[in-house]
Amino acid sequence: MLRQRDRALDGARATTAGEDARGPRARKGYPVWRKWFRARSTDLFPPFYLWVGLILLTVFTLAPFVYLFTSSLSEKQELLSGHLVPHRVTLDNYVRLFTGAGAGDFIHAIRNSVTVAVWTTVFSMVIGVFAAYAFARIRFPLRMTSLFAVLAMQILPSISILVPMYVMMRNGVQIDLPFTGVVLYQSPPLLDTVWALVIAYTTFSLPFVIWLLAGYFQTIPLELEEASYVDGCNRLRAMFQVVLPLSLPGIAATAIFTLLGAWDEFMFANAFTQTYASKTLPIAISEFIGKHGMDWGLMTAGGFIASLPPVAISLLLYRYIVSGMTAGGVKG
Amino acid sequence: MAAQMATRTNQKHRFTITRRQWRDWGLAALFLLPTVYVLAKIFVVPIYESAVWSFYHYNLLDGTPTRFIGLRNYQEILASSDFWVAFDRTVYFTVVSVAAELVFGFFSALLLHQMFPGRTFFRAIIIIPWALLTLVNGLLWDWIYQPGFGALSVILHGLHILGPHQDPVWLGSSAGIMNFVAVADIWKMTPFMTLILLAGLQSIPGELYESAMMDGAGFWKKLRYVTIPQLMPSILVALVLRLMGAFRVYDILTVFTGDPTTSVSYLTFNYAFRYFYLGKASAMAWFSTLFILALIVVYIWALKRNADAQ
Repeated sequence: MLRQRDRALDGARATTAGEDARGPRARKGYPVWRKWFRARSTDLFPPFYLWVGLILLTVFTLAPFVYLFTSSLSEKQELLSGHLVPHRVTLDNYVRLFTGAGAGDFIHAIRNSVTVAVWTTVFSMVIGVFAAYAFARIRFPLRMTSLFAVLAMQILPSISILVPMYVMMRNGVQIDLPFTGVVLYQSPPLLDTVWALVIAYTTFSLPFVIWLLAGYFQTIPLELEEASYVDGCNRLRAMFQVVLPLSLPGIAATAIFTLLGAWDEFMFANAFTQTYASKTLPIAISEFIGKHGMDWGLMTAGGFIASLPPVAISLLLYRYIVSGMTAGGVKG
Repeated sequence: MAAQMATRTNQKHRFTITRRQWRDWGLAALFLLPTVYVLAKIFVVPIYESAVWSFYHYNLLDGTPTRFIGLRNYQEILASSDFWVAFDRTVYFTVVSVAAELVFGFFSALLLHQMFPGRTFFRAIIIIPWALLTLVNGLLWDWIYQPGFGALSVILHGLHILGPHQDPVWLGSSAGIMNFVAVADIWKMTPFMTLILLAGLQSIPGELYESAMMDGAGFWKKLRYVTIPQLMPSILVALVLRLMGAFRVYDILTVFTGDPTTSVSYLTFNYAFRYFYLGKASAMAWFSTLFILALIVVYIWALKRNADAQ
């Protein structure tokens, strides 16, 4: 209705300006291009500004990423002579990455990254799913306080616990019965092993899993669970047969977030791993620049390979990633 | 809301705890036991240890005995110019990058909220910078900033903004580096801001814009009187999350410079793992911890307020 009114007004304006003499097109309304500068009533931007904004946004978002890719396809001379787009496309950097002198270390780094990410995720999910269920479904004293304490642990920076964690890894981890002095298991020193990283990454991924999963569990209608009690299920069976299957998308999203977090981590990895046997991808790639000279070709190729899984996952599972982001526990 | 429900049940049976409640509490304890054990072991004990060690002289390498020195670590840190330089730079970086991310993220979110053909595509591509590894982002921008043959110099030469014989070293001084680090961070984290604000925009009804337009509001007035007040809860959450994220900046700096006085995290890391001054590093880590804890309090308050408002 409002738009009709707009059109009527514009028509009137056009008539008074005497534009109808110019032909049928002008009589219908105002010139077509003016539509581009007028926002519709429920919108903010007129189409012209919208598209200018979108083009700028796209260029600024994609240009550096495309530059990373085109650089990885360039020869060394081209990189050093400032060609933004290679005149001759070559896969040489990728070939060197996987078969060259440092290939063994790079492949080892990929394997380490996968190992650390997978074990961190499995460990955090298996423990966290029970805690999340308790927070979401069982009423107990100090429930909200503890949940916010979990959130705080998730958000606190790694630097807060870095030093004691380092000493813990140096001395080996003890599994004991608290307050009794009984030691069930004493591990060897864990520095320069992937297990140090799995344990360190659990400090932020376990709280994150609990926070996110508790949120997902709360969205499952309580009635469904209560119906299963009537059918004679106890809580544990209700959890495994009703709540968990229904929150499968949420569980998958949480697992993916945990994988991405572990894949990206740098500070713990930098502090705890010095040997090639234990280095993860971010460390290995950073060493193309610096420790072994400045090989921009290898760096861009390695960086592109390492970024491909998270970029692909984020694009494919966009909806889940965004829902996880807005759930408010992601370290910004 | 859930907390209110809990109090109501408690009031009903103020003096008797029912068998069902006991059973529930038992189950909760059982479910929480592994988590409590693990988090106590790898989070609570370490953060407690770091508090204790911050009052000790605790050097790993020089063979001096570990001994209690009270507040000396803190005094030394507060008296050292390195700390204050690093602190100033961290604050500068945090303010600049988060402010820019908020402005760019806000306008990007507004753009992507409007209906237009191909919106899904544009919404999808903005997630790419966020998904890039933090360290690769740092290396990529380091590459862009290379003097002579990096993209920034090449483009500026191409546009004749730089003369043919001018070739600035962009990452030359530690003070100037913070601006370049901020650009890299803005590129990577603006999408995060955008996506959170975009989610907040979904809840603003279109009729509000319509009635604002009836009252004769133009673009800026619509923003001022409709969008920003309605979006405030999301803005607050996104802002606090990003402040906490930016303050701990470390990864990018290790790529851009070897100078540890560029951020508090970097300086702390250096004290701990270059000199192995574990006591002093613990004390310095507590400055970051307390700062972030204060923000966490604000954050939880904001989350609670948003939840109550719904």
